[in-house]
Amino acid sequence: MIANDLLKGTLRTIILKLLADNGRMYGYEITKKVEELSTGKIKLTFGALYPVLHKLEADGHIATEIEYIGKRVRKYYALTETGRSWTAQKVDEFFDFVNTLTYVLKPTPA
Amino acid sequence: MIAAVIDDNYERIKADLVRLGLTYERLMDDLLDHICCMVEENMEEGEDFESSYNQVLDTIGENRLPEIQHQTLLNLDNKFQRMKNFTYIFGLSAAILTIIGSLFKRMHWPGAGIMIVVGLALVVLVFLPLYFITSYREQTERKNPVYPIVGYLTLALLLAGASFKVMHWPGAGMMLTVSVGFLLIGFVPLYLVNVFQKSGKERVTLPYIVMLLVGIACVVLISVVNMSRDRLDVYIDEALANEKQVELVEGQTAGLLQLAQDSVHLDQLATITRIHNQARDLQVMVTGMQKGMIAFVGQPGASIEEVKGKDNKQAGREAILEHGEGSAFITEAKKFAAMLNELVKDPAVRAQIGDHLEFTSPVWDYAYNSVASSPLMVNYYMNTDAAKGIALAEYTAIAYLLHQ
Repeated sequence: MIANDLLKGTLRTIILKLLADNGRMYGYEITKKVEELSTGKIKLTFGALYPVLHKLEADGHIATEIEYIGKRVRKYYALTETGRSWTAQKVDEFFDFVNTLTYVLKPTPA
Repeated sequence: MIAAVIDDNYERIKADLVRLGLTYERLMDDLLDHICCMVEENMEEGEDFESSYNQVLDTIGENRLPEIQHQTLLNLDNKFQRMKNFTYIFGLSAAILTIIGSLFKRMHWPGAGIMIVVGLALVVLVFLPLYFITSYREQTERKNPVYPIVGYLTLALLLAGASFKVMHWPGAGMMLTVSVGFLLIGFVPLYLVNVFQKSGKERVTLPYIVMLLVGIACVVLISVVNMSRDRLDVYIDEALANEKQVELVEGQTAGLLQLAQDSVHLDQLATITRIHNQARDLQVMVTGMQKGMIAFVGQPGASIEEVKGKDNKQAGREAILEHGEGSAFITEAKKFAAMLNELVKDPAVRAQIGDHLEFTSPVWDYAYNSVASSPLMVNYYMNTDAAKGIALAEYTAIAYLLHQ
């Protein structure tokens, strides 16, 4: 398991990248996908997921489509045009961050 | 098959979510679908609807839904987000203003006081309230307004006390004492209770640790700036003893002068009078500087005992160096020492006088330069010490000349 406080800042980037790679997805699908990709190390609870999704939607980075599954509504989330370029930027920033961290945390040669 | 069962229970699940505190419609759609998916997954492994639904409800927990909803709504509340950003930007600029002000103060540049006061006033009146309001609104569980209120009072009093102290306004000591009281009997116990309640469950809230550290830092800072009571008492006792001795010696000198008028030759009387006049001029200078320092920190005419605690590294700088006769005094005192040195031929008496006027030596010169960085009481004491030296040297020299 990866500690929650480590994940906190990167959750948004993870969600954006998943949507960029998989097109439209619904919430449960996102949590499953994250679990699968991280081989169970990252468990994305819906408590963490939906506040972020709603914020991204309000900011215009993602848009929703609605489908009915029986009686219930299923909301699919997908990147908008602005969301797409923003995602690329966020992913770059993240790798930059990881590289910097690796450099900083790497044990110094004796 | 499974889908049909879930569809049959759709209204019930929805009613359960409402009962658990979910009211925001857009989130309701998401969570309903999510929970149905979880139930479906369990059912696909062979469980029946009831047991798998109960299992899902268990994993959600009682208070979880209102918390998620609260978090979502806060995320969407642009006004709240703006307020949060504004709070941080504001806090940062107020802190920078205060720090620049402190720097100015340290360099004795003008405008330091107003910067520190405005900076700290902004922190206390705008930043802290906003900060506690936003962090309070972000919490969902166990909302207890006692924490932010006690936290605010502690910090606000500490900072206000610090700025009052810097500006030498009355009431600073009171405020600091009360805020330390808040810190020790209000904030720390509350905080510890909070930690134990949450132990193992949730991480300790960082802002409260930061506040505690700020509080401790302030207390340490103030106790360093302030002279301890004991030292203060030592200085005042010594200073008063010196002043008493000056009075005593001057009385004895007056007796010698009376004697001189009656008995000695005219030319020797002229020398003795010269010594006495110079010594008197020096004493006048000392008294002037003492009065200047007291006037700077308190009511003009107050006694040193009334203002001894007004620790203040500006009084000496102001009343001795900048607008006082500090350097003239040292020059004159050196001339006085040189004159006595010439008049007194006996090496033993000369050495005695040298001891009394030790403050005119280069070593003391160096100490005199530290006037600007010494608190009031230290400078005051040093001046009484010089006055005592002058009075004793005067007496010794006149007595020597008379007995020759």
